[in-house]
Amino acid sequence: MEQKKYWKGLEELHDTKGHQEIVKNEFREELPFDENESLLNATTPRRDFLKYLGFTTAAATIAASCEIPVKKAIPYVNKPEEITPGVPNYYASTYAVDGEFVPVVVKTREGRPIKIEGNTLSSVTGGATTAKVQAAVLSLYDVARLRYPTINGTETTWAELDKQVKAALGALGGQPVVLLTSTILSPSTKKVIGEFLAKYPGSRHVTYDAVSYSGMLLANEAAYGKRVLPSYHFENAKTIVSLGADFLGTWLSPAEFAKQYGATRKINAAKPEMSKHFHFESMMSLTGANADERFTHKPSETGAVALALYNAVNGGAVSGIADKRLADGITKAARALKASQGKALVVSGSNDVNVQLIVNAINNLVGANGTTIDWAVTSNYRQGIDGDMAQLVNDLNAGSIGALFIHGVNPVYDYFDAKRFADGLKKAKLTVSFNDRKDETTELVKYAAPDHHFLESWGDAEGKTGYFSFTQPTIAPLFKTRAFEDSLLSWSGNTTNWVDYLKNEWIAKLGGQEAWDKALQDGVIEPTTAPALAGAAFTGDVAAATAKISSAKKGGKFELVLYEKVAIGNGKLANNPWLQEMPDPITRSTWDNYACVSNTLAKTFNEELGDDYEINADKKVLKIKANGKEIELPLLIVPGIHPEVIAIAVGYGRSLNAGRAAGNIGKNAYPFVSYNGQTFDYFAADAAVEATGATYQIGLTQTHNSYEGRPIIKETTLEEFIKNPKEVNEDRAELSKYGADFRSDATLYPNYPYPGIKWGMSIDLNTCFGCGACVVACTAENNVPVVGKEQVIKAHEMHWLRIDRYFSGDENNPEVVFQPMLCQHCDNAPCENVCPVAATNHSSEGINQMAYNRCIGTRYCANNCPYKVRRFNWRDWNGADSFENNLYDVADMNDNLTRMVLNPDVVVRSRGVMEKCSFCVQRLQDAKLTAKKEGRPVKDGEAKTACQQACAADAIVFGNVNDKDSRIYQVRTQEQQDRLYYVLEETHTLPSINYLAKIRNKDAAPKAEAGHHEAAHHG
Amino acid sequence: MHLKYESTLREPLVDGVKDYHKVTEDIIGPIEAKPGKLWYVGFFISLSLLAFGVFSVTWEVYYGTGVWNLNKTIGWGWDITNFVWWVGIGHAGTLISAILLLFRQGWRTGVNRAAEAMTIFAVMCAGQFPIFHMGRVWMAFFVLPYPNTRGPLWVNFNSPLLWDVFAISTYFTVSLLFWYSGLIPDFATVRDRAKTKLRKLLYGIASFGWTGSTKHWQRHEALSLVLAGLSTPLVLSVHTIVSFDFATSVIPGWHTTIFPPYFVAGAIFSGFAMVQTLLIITRKILHLEDYITIGHMEAMNKVIVLTGSIVGCAYLTELFMAWYGGVQYEFDTFYKYRAAGPLGWSYWIMMTCNVITPQVFWFRKMRRNVMVTFIMSIIVNIGMWFERFVIICTSLYRDYLPSSWSYYRPSWPEVGFYMGTFGLFFTCYFLFAKYFPVIAVAEIKHVLKTSGESFKDKMQKYETEDADKFAHDVAHAH
Repeated sequence: MEQKKYWKGLEELHDTKGHQEIVKNEFREELPFDENESLLNATTPRRDFLKYLGFTTAAATIAASCEIPVKKAIPYVNKPEEITPGVPNYYASTYAVDGEFVPVVVKTREGRPIKIEGNTLSSVTGGATTAKVQAAVLSLYDVARLRYPTINGTETTWAELDKQVKAALGALGGQPVVLLTSTILSPSTKKVIGEFLAKYPGSRHVTYDAVSYSGMLLANEAAYGKRVLPSYHFENAKTIVSLGADFLGTWLSPAEFAKQYGATRKINAAKPEMSKHFHFESMMSLTGANADERFTHKPSETGAVALALYNAVNGGAVSGIADKRLADGITKAARALKASQGKALVVSGSNDVNVQLIVNAINNLVGANGTTIDWAVTSNYRQGIDGDMAQLVNDLNAGSIGALFIHGVNPVYDYFDAKRFADGLKKAKLTVSFNDRKDETTELVKYAAPDHHFLESWGDAEGKTGYFSFTQPTIAPLFKTRAFEDSLLSWSGNTTNWVDYLKNEWIAKLGGQEAWDKALQDGVIEPTTAPALAGAAFTGDVAAATAKISSAKKGGKFELVLYEKVAIGNGKLANNPWLQEMPDPITRSTWDNYACVSNTLAKTFNEELGDDYEINADKKVLKIKANGKEIELPLLIVPGIHPEVIAIAVGYGRSLNAGRAAGNIGKNAYPFVSYNGQTFDYFAADAAVEATGATYQIGLTQTHNSYEGRPIIKETTLEEFIKNPKEVNEDRAELSKYGADFRSDATLYPNYPYPGIKWGMSIDLNTCFGCGACVVACTAENNVPVVGKEQVIKAHEMHWLRIDRYFSGDENNPEVVFQPMLCQHCDNAPCENVCPVAATNHSSEGINQMAYNRCIGTRYCANNCPYKVRRFNWRDWNGADSFENNLYDVADMNDNLTRMVLNPDVVVRSRGVMEKCSFCVQRLQDAKLTAKKEGRPVKDGEAKTACQQACAADAIVFGNVNDKDSRIYQVRTQEQQDRLYYVLEETHTLPSINYLAKIRNKDAAPKAEAGHHEAAHHG
Repeated sequence: MHLKYESTLREPLVDGVKDYHKVTEDIIGPIEAKPGKLWYVGFFISLSLLAFGVFSVTWEVYYGTGVWNLNKTIGWGWDITNFVWWVGIGHAGTLISAILLLFRQGWRTGVNRAAEAMTIFAVMCAGQFPIFHMGRVWMAFFVLPYPNTRGPLWVNFNSPLLWDVFAISTYFTVSLLFWYSGLIPDFATVRDRAKTKLRKLLYGIASFGWTGSTKHWQRHEALSLVLAGLSTPLVLSVHTIVSFDFATSVIPGWHTTIFPPYFVAGAIFSGFAMVQTLLIITRKILHLEDYITIGHMEAMNKVIVLTGSIVGCAYLTELFMAWYGGVQYEFDTFYKYRAAGPLGWSYWIMMTCNVITPQVFWFRKMRRNVMVTFIMSIIVNIGMWFERFVIICTSLYRDYLPSSWSYYRPSWPEVGFYMGTFGLFFTCYFLFAKYFPVIAVAEIKHVLKTSGESFKDKMQKYETEDADKFAHDVAHAH
């Protein structure tokens, strides 16, 4: 067959060169793709695009299978004038609870208060806060708060309540009305009270402080003719002697005193000097832990110690003190007091009038009046007189009180003879409680007229004469509550409401709306020039007091002392989970009270410090009997407590109605309080203690007490430091063997230079008193979850910042050091290189960052962290999990109400991811953005971490170490070079946090003894 | 026939009078028969354990890692202890199949199949732990370096945990291939003997159309050698990399350079012990005493005493370095909190089981005693479990800052997880013993005529023969 060839064109027929070319190519023409430079260099070229498309489809399929439920947020329809979403508003306010006076600034976001800071405009506290103040914002959202007025426990309306109360008041038949409150600092509230009581002749206002200071008030009356508390000026003191006054933790105004005391503990390297602090106490208090010299005695000896000190200061000999160490201590303290005449201060935590009188006498002798004690500006911190309360209870039981109005106190829980109070309460015709929850007392009253939380309130407070601080609402009342003052105004027939009443008062005083607005904005009004410090003439009868003290009955074999915990205080804030979970500064325990005993005493119950004690959360339960009462509590060994003393914290054992966090935790220790006819005694001179055979678990966040002589803590004495400032850091010389610059010479790897901002922090161990304000501040700022006691026992607590507490030396007279420990933001971080998915990495500003979304939870980073500061989300603490219904929440922290406290700038972390301190990166970003908008670099002090801001003693300095004008730069390179060290520096982790060595103002121990010292370390 | 002459002084590798058919009958027979009562009992127990393990893990994944008793100080406990333990056990299989093959150790033929199976199952068990110890196991795929839409986000190649991912997955893949390629001729044997259609079909698929042609055998041999070559470095690398999880860290007790050889020796040590445990049971139940002989056990006991002694040396070296290094933290870890302290008991269990008791194997009588071998194999595995526990937990629980010191006891889901992996392991092993030839039939046949007892006897006449004459006869055989 003929092979015909068909051609399609002449080119094909002639097979031209051009045609051959075309045939060779698969495609006859250039494909119309624009493959120019820009396309190929695009960040996602076509091929990659297809790859990604394929992958994302697959990934989305996988991801969709574990979708997290969408929670909808509702935007503002009409934007309120003052609220810009994402931008916080700050309002000045005052924390004035139970007489504590702390001017504060409240941060609100989208109308919700989320954080409390100290008000730096106040000269009283200078911006200091305490753990309680920091935690107060959470109490606003407490689910256990009363949400409406009630009559006999059933909901009612304010109108109905008003009607019934007014009717009941009218039907009193001339019987007196008693208003029972805790210390009230507000002059305007007092005026309202006065007007209300004036309507009912014979009525009175009784002030009752659960933990009373009436011994001081009465002693001051006896010695100086004024029933007031003076202002203390620790900052002027060179020698401070505290007879059991825990002024850094719980005594009167700890924020203010910590600030003042901190000023005397700062070391100026050029001219090193610091105050010398002697402490005499029965148990181990936070303040005692910070003392230079500390001595213990039995609580029944408190008077004898004061007396001996008085005699010694007066030139006599120490007598009546059997214990040689104690006697020597008193002699030494007296010598120091005399040597610093006019710069000395003695304070006492006793509630005994005679002891306080002797203390007044000592202060008079050492010239404290007018120098460290100011009688010109007196403080109103506590006003309760125990005798008034005792009288009230008698009157109630006699049936002579017609109406009892209760505000801010809870005697059915915290009065020593609660049953008698409760019985008396039943005899009053009209009982009204203004308390915020259905607490033990409110349960028994007929009418509950709940007051606002202070963050919802208007008010003023006069902490000290002439020093005012204001309260303004930071949120509209969450519930159907009503200001206490409004209730009183309404019942006394005054139609003015409380806001106008307050405003009128102050506009009248200040002379205009503008001044009032300014006052609210600043939050404080203070005398333009502070009045000069003034003394007072001492007219006390020392001989009579001496006689009474000398005739006091001697104690028994064991004695019991009651104390307040730094976090829980008198128990009013017991339903605050942040405070419950804050480890006690001394015992490191959470969520419980217990019988603190010495190791010596514990041994008699076959328990002692050591491995067994450390690794078991089960502690032996003791039965403690005193004053005819008995309770069973687990023992907890606290080095430094007097061997024959048992210490128990008050504030626990609340009823479940007080809230889920407070309810049924610990035991109520108030029944051990006794009334001596004049004041309440917070100790029992004769206690019996016996084993029960039971055990009880206690959640401790730290079980090992000694730092084992490791160079993680560096300390020396003032004397040594003056002699040779370099000595404390002698071991750092070792590092120079690697070359001139340890940072770059001790490694094979290149050194990243951090050209821009480099954040750094310095923590002064000398001014960290361990109070825990920073811990709670960090919790509040960073939405750190609350895990509850069971999980604390499993060591699952989440605190990003903890305060390590170490004991050293003799177990009954140990020295204590506190070391705040948080992520060190190591520049050569061991956590970073072990993460398989690079979820933790380093920022160009030196911050060790966590990408929570990326974390898969291998916990390798936490293992490899030498500081053990990484915290793993073991359970679903906050409902951010992929699985439903496995929320682990023991304290109502995930109620929609409570969740309002969350800081919207910080995400909540889901279960299974690692988290840790971020250096409050949200605050740093905020400061940087503000600076950027203004076109300038960040200034020192604009970016503050939450812990730094909360610290009363300014122990934490934070800033940009590349900024030569910054405090941190000054501290590191100029001021504190001799004391500066990094923890575990030799591991070359290159931490961004440095510590300043602790200096104790005590006699330098001879070298040989120092060695022995270490050997005597106890587990 | 093998071009190898083996002296009759050498112990036969196969006892009894066997020919090829007898070998096939002995080994393939159990596959075709119904399993015995003991098999059912064992299988049921294994399945129960596995079910409990699945329950424990589900519990943990659902409620969070917090149901384990790990804590802020001790981030790894039983989970990673078990991981390292299982991975270590896997090593014997690879060592026997790869290194001994390259060294032409004929005795491996009796035990290599079961040992390799053990390797695979052990690695499967091991893999569960690093996966399920993650807080967010559903995000586990993040450890894979795949292209993604997250910008330049990639895995962290600095992390030893990532190296583990590659090491373990490579190891598993190569071991599986090696094992399976060895199984092909034996599967073909089962197929060829099959009397039921289903069996014929399934084993037919499994044997990849093996016909037994010379070309097949040649390729099979070549593949074996290639895979052996690939596996050999893996024996060393896998546990080296596992040891890097610890050695590259900064934690005293982890941060030591001795770890790679120490871990590898320990892995072989525990692996051989596990092989002993399994084979002593297997030979008893399946009546394979002729194939897995006392001689095999003795050979493995020699390896155990050698590696046990290496491990013992490593322990002492660590103690020496902790003192000699002069680092306070390291000294404290080793002397105060490892050899003493609340977890000190675990250290002494480890020392007793791993260093002291294996010394009985210096005595031939002990090496050749089945009961002693069995008990020792259990003791060694207990000891090696404690070694990992000691390394992980006694280093973590008391490290640099005493404030964070803690203690660790496992919770039930942790123990349950471990029991579950036993369930997984033995479920697999029972299925293997029932459906797979537990001894490499082809390979046994390979050595039968040189090292089998009945064939060795035939060599007797050559033993007495003059060497020169024998050489001459062989050279001029035509």
